[in-house]
Amino acid sequence: MDRLFLQQVLATALRRGGTFAEVFVEDRENTSLSLRDGSIEDAARGRVCGAGVRVFDGLRCIYCYTAGTDRAQLLACAERAAAAVTDTRSGALDVVLGERIPANLHPIAQLPASVHSARKAQKAREIYHAAKSYSPEITQAIVSYSDSDQRVTIANSEGLLVRDRRVYTRVRVSAVASNGTENQSGTRAPGAMMGFELFDQRVDPEQIGREAAKTAVTMLHAPACPAGIMPVVIDGGFGGVIFHEACGHSLEATSVSRDMSEFCGKLGRQIAAPCVTAIDDGTLPGEWGSTNIDDEGMPTNRLVLIENGILKNYMIDRLGGLRMGMAPTGSGRRQSYAFAPTSRMRNTYIAAGTDDEAEMIATMGDGLYARRMGGGSVNPATGEFNFAVEEGYLVRGGRIDSPVRGASLIGRGGEVLMKIDRVGREMTMEQGMCGSISGSVPVNVGQPMIRVSSITVGGK
Amino acid sequence: MEFDAFVSALFARAKAEGIERAEVYYASGDSLRVRVRDQKIEDYTVSTRAGLSLRGVCGGRMGYASTEALDEAAVDLLVQGVRETAALIDAPEEQDIFPGSPAYAKVEQHAVKADPQALIDRAMEMERQMQGEGLQVDDSMTQLTGGVLRIVNTYGLNLRHEDGAAFAMASLVARRGERTADGFAFDWGADLAALDTGDIARRAVQTARFMLDAAPVPSGEYDVIFRREAMADLLETFAGIFSAENAQRRLSLLAGRVGETIAAPCVTIVDDPLLPGGPATCAFDAEGVATYAKPVVEGGVLKTLLHNRSTARKDGVASTGNASRAGYSAPVRVSPTNFFFRPGELSLEALMAQMGEGLVITDVSGLHAGANPLSGDFSLLSKGFLVRDGKPAQPVEQITVAGNFYDLLKGVRAVADDLKLYPGGVGGTSVWAGKLSVAGK
Repeated sequence: MDRLFLQQVLATALRRGGTFAEVFVEDRENTSLSLRDGSIEDAARGRVCGAGVRVFDGLRCIYCYTAGTDRAQLLACAERAAAAVTDTRSGALDVVLGERIPANLHPIAQLPASVHSARKAQKAREIYHAAKSYSPEITQAIVSYSDSDQRVTIANSEGLLVRDRRVYTRVRVSAVASNGTENQSGTRAPGAMMGFELFDQRVDPEQIGREAAKTAVTMLHAPACPAGIMPVVIDGGFGGVIFHEACGHSLEATSVSRDMSEFCGKLGRQIAAPCVTAIDDGTLPGEWGSTNIDDEGMPTNRLVLIENGILKNYMIDRLGGLRMGMAPTGSGRRQSYAFAPTSRMRNTYIAAGTDDEAEMIATMGDGLYARRMGGGSVNPATGEFNFAVEEGYLVRGGRIDSPVRGASLIGRGGEVLMKIDRVGREMTMEQGMCGSISGSVPVNVGQPMIRVSSITVGGK
Repeated sequence: MEFDAFVSALFARAKAEGIERAEVYYASGDSLRVRVRDQKIEDYTVSTRAGLSLRGVCGGRMGYASTEALDEAAVDLLVQGVRETAALIDAPEEQDIFPGSPAYAKVEQHAVKADPQALIDRAMEMERQMQGEGLQVDDSMTQLTGGVLRIVNTYGLNLRHEDGAAFAMASLVARRGERTADGFAFDWGADLAALDTGDIARRAVQTARFMLDAAPVPSGEYDVIFRREAMADLLETFAGIFSAENAQRRLSLLAGRVGETIAAPCVTIVDDPLLPGGPATCAFDAEGVATYAKPVVEGGVLKTLLHNRSTARKDGVASTGNASRAGYSAPVRVSPTNFFFRPGELSLEALMAQMGEGLVITDVSGLHAGANPLSGDFSLLSKGFLVRDGKPAQPVEQITVAGNFYDLLKGVRAVADDLKLYPGGVGGTSVWAGKLSVAGK
């Protein structure tokens, strides 16, 4: 996709007016495999390619996208965007593009296309066997492997032209333990912005298979969690989903710029307990939520969201920034060309604190220790969130007593942030796919072990 | 390249490369969406998407590859992709594509005409109806979608289905002091004319105003009615338990239970792919098998699981025409079509009157996390209202309702007469589920 042609596309999009135009061209190859009952059942290769043209007409956003990237399709797409411009007073803009080369913070050692599919299948098999051999109660393990190699070209009417390549590799195992009348499951799903070197550097197939199986078996023998309001200790890693849901989404311009967040107008104010510092960082090498540039072409960075409880920054995309009168923060992301970008999280975590993990539990009295969290969701307008506890334990008199299943945590983000009274010393992260209006994007969640002084626990 | 020419070139190359039999599955979709705020268009999105996948049998194994570009390079990528992925499969069974059913039902084909101005006008009008005292409109959205599905194979089968729909959605927030409550409503229909945007706006406003006074109830056991939209969410989340594929993999506790009573006698659950005007209505499934209507549960008895050709072969039965693909690039799985509790005799009001005291749940959140289709367990953030003396009383929020879907089926006291089908095909009927565990204050 050459410079002169992209200039022509942008000029076409602004032919009748408009204040800004952008083109996003994507070509992505995927491989996916899934394994059940020890056999590879599905294997597929796919190619996603298309382009989207975005025009701002004041604060109005016009987005047209098309599958396929031949020249005629792309120009037709720009024409359709131009046709929807209503404010034609601004007149046509001249566009001159100058290409910029972004720093590559996440070099790839083994590109997916360079690795034979049989080796990918082998990793899935190893995970399966590790899970299955953990216990005779493991009746099934579903393992999937996926990789993707995405090339993007982004150009806009301010002269930006930038290209990027994003390579992701991930595996997922869901182990099922059953006693014939009841099923419980345990899941692990590690991934990284890496190629096949994922398995040399980050992921031990044996270990994740075993861990998933262990959760499933533990929960099969656990009684239901009692319901009520109680103190909860949430472990590191995927426990960070509490911050992601309870607070992260409400700090995105997607909700803040529309006055639809409980944290609107609270910059510089205390929104969390003083022991809480939270970061959104796209620069961490090879991490699942990392970026070189965002999907609007802006270089990535490390953004402090909350420092010692004080709200420091929102996560802002270009359009959100226009609406809020603030600068974008490199947070514009999208699943694919089929979505206009909006403000999204990257690797978002509560930073390490100074509290002792053993003390946290010893002094909590009766409550819940959430060793592994499942997913959750939030309504940013009201701050109401919910999430599932995948592996939980009742704590009685400051001692971990017995595993419990089926617990969920609910509350309002603003309230729970103020109730965090302990933050442990070692931060760990895990991987997730985060859904919002610009689709599903890879993110890390993370935190050290934390304690919330009281929260509503749903159970039976 | 034009579709027919592309498919001919593709099949010719596939044959030359040793792919014995092949099938093309093609899906295209167009969409036009308008979002209005403060009587200005905030977002205007036009899209054209199309994708094609090739499934082919190579040495008795099935490979898959897909593309969005229909060019010469794509022919190569598809054929090589099928060969490479087929080689990975450890299929214990002979896999094949489907030559075709003897006959297909006639269902309505429905092309949607895009009228951008009408779409904008309706979104504007809906927003004007929402603007009122103490309310902050978040979004007024209208959308038209249309799509074509085609299955063409080397046996000469050539199937086509065209469908489209219109959607409208309203959301807003009511505030009073520190309290905020949101209201959300939507509807869909065959075209814009079929949508009552006035009613959508009214429902969103009513919900937000009503929920301003919401509070948790004390924790305990409550008699619970799931109103139809919440029941549709629950049924959709747990629909997989009726899949033979899940049963064969021991991921459903309904494995081996066809013919047994699994639900209360008042429960009949229907899968009807031929329902006129249904969102998932189509005369053929994702493998090209002719579809038909059937009860899955009748009078509480499990009559059948849902099958595609592969699961049917394993169980020694015929496919129920429930092969599905989540998108053009996805593998063939099993899912229901238009799927719902058959409505009963009583209105929701009559159901509340019979219940006397309890909770009506109107909204459940976080189903992807708080509901476990494997175990049937759910523990869900819920909203709704208390029922006292058989009548709606105060609104309720910040509670979880917990239970187990398998137990819920057995405990159903009554099913209301208010069936509504939602996009995707799952329908909701208000259901009096009996006693469930509630965590509140």
